[in-house]
Amino acid sequence: MWRYLVRRFLQGLLVLFLVSLVVFSLVRLLPGDAILMQLDQAAALTPEDLERARQELGLDRPFVQQYVTWAAGLLTGDLGRSLVSRKPVAEELSKRLILTFHLAVMSLVIALLIALPIGILSAVRQDTVVDYLGRLFAILGLSLPDFWLATVTITFLAIWFQWMPPMGFEPIWVDPLKNLTQLAIPALIIGARLAAVSMRMTRSSLLEVLRQDYIRTAWAKGLREQGIIVRHALKNAMIPVVTIVGQQFSVLLGGTVIVEFIFLQPGVGSLILDAVLLRDYTLVQGTVMFFATVMVGMNLLVDLTYAWFDPRIRYS
Amino acid sequence: MVKRWKDDHALIGGLGLLLLIVAATWAVAGESPAAPATTPAPGASGGAETSTTPFAYAAPALIKELDEKFPFPPPAPPWPPRLGGVLHIPTGVLRHFDPLTGYGTELALVWDTLLEWESTWYFPDAQTQPVIRKSLAESWQMVDASTWIFHLRQGVKFHNRPPVHGREMTAEDVRYSYDLLKGKSGYSSRGAAIERVDVVDRYTVRIHLKGPDPHFPINHVNSFSPVIVPKEAAEAEGGLGKYPVGTGAFLLKEFAAGEGVLLVKNPDYFMRDKDGRQLPYVDAIRLIFTRDAATEAALFRSKRVDMIRPPTLDMLYELLKTVPDAYLYRVPSYGWGNYGLMLRLDKAPYDDVRVRQALSMAINRDIVAEIINRGDASLYGPFPWVLAGYTQRSEYSTENLGPNYEYNPQRARQLLAEAGYPNGFDMTIEWGEFRGYAWGDFAVAIGRFFEDIGIRVKLKQVDTSTWWTMRFGGQPFAEALISFTPPGSGPGFMDWVYLPHHSSSPPTVNVPHIKDPKLDALLDEWRVASGDKQLALQRQVWDYLREQVYRITTIVPPHYRMSQSYLHAGGVPHCWFIGFCSYEGKTAWMTEKAPARRFDKFAQ
Repeated sequence: MWRYLVRRFLQGLLVLFLVSLVVFSLVRLLPGDAILMQLDQAAALTPEDLERARQELGLDRPFVQQYVTWAAGLLTGDLGRSLVSRKPVAEELSKRLILTFHLAVMSLVIALLIALPIGILSAVRQDTVVDYLGRLFAILGLSLPDFWLATVTITFLAIWFQWMPPMGFEPIWVDPLKNLTQLAIPALIIGARLAAVSMRMTRSSLLEVLRQDYIRTAWAKGLREQGIIVRHALKNAMIPVVTIVGQQFSVLLGGTVIVEFIFLQPGVGSLILDAVLLRDYTLVQGTVMFFATVMVGMNLLVDLTYAWFDPRIRYS
Repeated sequence: MVKRWKDDHALIGGLGLLLLIVAATWAVAGESPAAPATTPAPGASGGAETSTTPFAYAAPALIKELDEKFPFPPPAPPWPPRLGGVLHIPTGVLRHFDPLTGYGTELALVWDTLLEWESTWYFPDAQTQPVIRKSLAESWQMVDASTWIFHLRQGVKFHNRPPVHGREMTAEDVRYSYDLLKGKSGYSSRGAAIERVDVVDRYTVRIHLKGPDPHFPINHVNSFSPVIVPKEAAEAEGGLGKYPVGTGAFLLKEFAAGEGVLLVKNPDYFMRDKDGRQLPYVDAIRLIFTRDAATEAALFRSKRVDMIRPPTLDMLYELLKTVPDAYLYRVPSYGWGNYGLMLRLDKAPYDDVRVRQALSMAINRDIVAEIINRGDASLYGPFPWVLAGYTQRSEYSTENLGPNYEYNPQRARQLLAEAGYPNGFDMTIEWGEFRGYAWGDFAVAIGRFFEDIGIRVKLKQVDTSTWWTMRFGGQPFAEALISFTPPGSGPGFMDWVYLPHHSSSPPTVNVPHIKDPKLDALLDEWRVASGDKQLALQRQVWDYLREQVYRITTIVPPHYRMSQSYLHAGGVPHCWFIGFCSYEGKTAWMTEKAPARRFDKFAQ
């Protein structure tokens, strides 16, 4: 087990190194830079002034030197400073991460509460009305774009009820009721889409398990349906579902930009998008590296949970 | 058999549901009013000309209704104002609230400048000579055209918070602020004119200019000028971002990153209204960052924000339907928000005036107005009409602009042939999405017009950030860039005309690289002229630029500002940006019907 963990750790480091190279290079390929993005109609600056401003931020140094300086900081946990706000990237990120984490957890809980029962019912009652309705729900969830759903929701809430979720994010430990009121609708919209994906995976995975011999044996023994599904079939069917859910959580942590925009939730998605638009290199780099690390960690965690679901799986 | 029976019924049920949905869709579509075949269009000139076009089926009636229901000038608000309340205003996202890190018009609520534009200038009965409001400076004298003395208002206090603790603002603060900010991006267009600032005594500064400017105060007014900051806060660790201390009407209470800003009333603010009441009237302002038009509309409908600036007539119409008691200020734009095209004047064929004239003549500005805003727009020339002495809307016509602005594709082809392009040429027009503007539609429209005169147009969309850097001269564009013309901070010729057209201006201001000695001479003469001579020179520059067509301009839609019925704006109704006319925040007030809102923190 330890050898497995060490191997995965080293692999993770390699992945992170490659990600750092890619993000560092790609963001610098974009036209413009943070200095140019600060220009407006009041800016009467000569090319020399602009160059001087770049020097102040270290943007005039050679590519390799900039990379090495930044990477060295990463190794000590320093994600750098935003080129626009001059605040530490970690500080900018942490404020947004709390909201995004709330939204991600809530969306996932909603998704699982919807997907698992519907997916199980759909599999157990295959080719019945229940199954068709469940699959219809999944198709709708996959087809309806969340930006459309969010816009329509917010528009009709305002027109019919003159209501919008409250502004100003409060964590759940500060004001639980307000937190739920703020995040329930965006979480429902995000969760609906996730539920569609998870529902289909649950259904197809469970169908495959239900066709196994040992399940047929359980039926033959006269066990009750609930016991067969819950105690024998579900655990084996959950492995691909857990994989999907783990990936979804990682993606959610990266932010759902459009829903954040529409519901005025200042999460990580809008932070990264703003950083890209403003060519805030360090903020983009630091945030991407943070999430790459989270993603690598989440993948490892998901892999380790397989062993819990299926005792036959052992890591060495 | 049972399973097959169930399957058949499920299939029938599904088909039935589908048919129901299709029938419902037809029924709803059948209720939409059909467009009449021909309808008179108002015409972008604002005059009485009519033309038949299928585009304007809804607009003329609505425009007429708006003219009747919300006349211009708007009625004076009731008086006296009610004190208290929390004003909610939607704005774009701010990444910081620190004048050192970058300029933002909202900062004018917290930090003052020496002078401001007075709120009485308006449009179209515009005063051709803008009026200055004294802010931190009470009076000024010219020693010579390159030296000015400003007398500061006494007893103005910085905000009473650490590390400044409410001490008085003095001349030393002005000197310090100008030295600190004049080279920074957001203030450099003003700072570039200033050599140095000396302290004469506690309340007097002497400003030495790099060149003569007998109109320095009027050219120096407002948002682009360095704001006055205290040294203790600027040089403390964390700077003004951590210690946002100024002299302004509001104190920064909370900057909620990504969400908004909470500003609370400065109890020691120096400015008073005409009856001696201390400003501001409201207890607090909440600036709410929005990124999406639908969200902003929803905020307005649910009374989460008290005003909104719909960018188009369509959105305005939708809002009026759902918020019938809202008040609308619909005012002609001075020039902000116009639709134009910048050209690479340093490249052939755009260095040939005949080509530029041809491009301008190829555009049917009436059609552009229809496409952009259903006809609710004014013609726009080389710079704001008022600055050329045209103060009545009825004067905004192609007659006063001349043949280069009249739609004449035949003449345009002739000019191209004379310039050596009888078969046209290839042209790349770049554009980017920018909130509040229909650049994409505009690009397609003028692309079609240019193709009609033989030009082979390639439209290239760039991302917004790239467009931004091109627009402000940070990066070159290929040949033509769709953009608004350089706007000013107020009604000043210096911002709208002098700086963007003089060859001495850096490329971040004179973006198309205009190098015209005759124009430079006119502008230099204007700079030192006075009174009527200045106005006459402005008209001369106008006439010259109409001929040269250095920038292709078309139309400008009016400003729409909708406010809730309980909000009264004491300031200028066509205030476009909160900071350009900071008095909007200072002089707004709300009736007792306004929602009760807390202001202890940003989150409510």
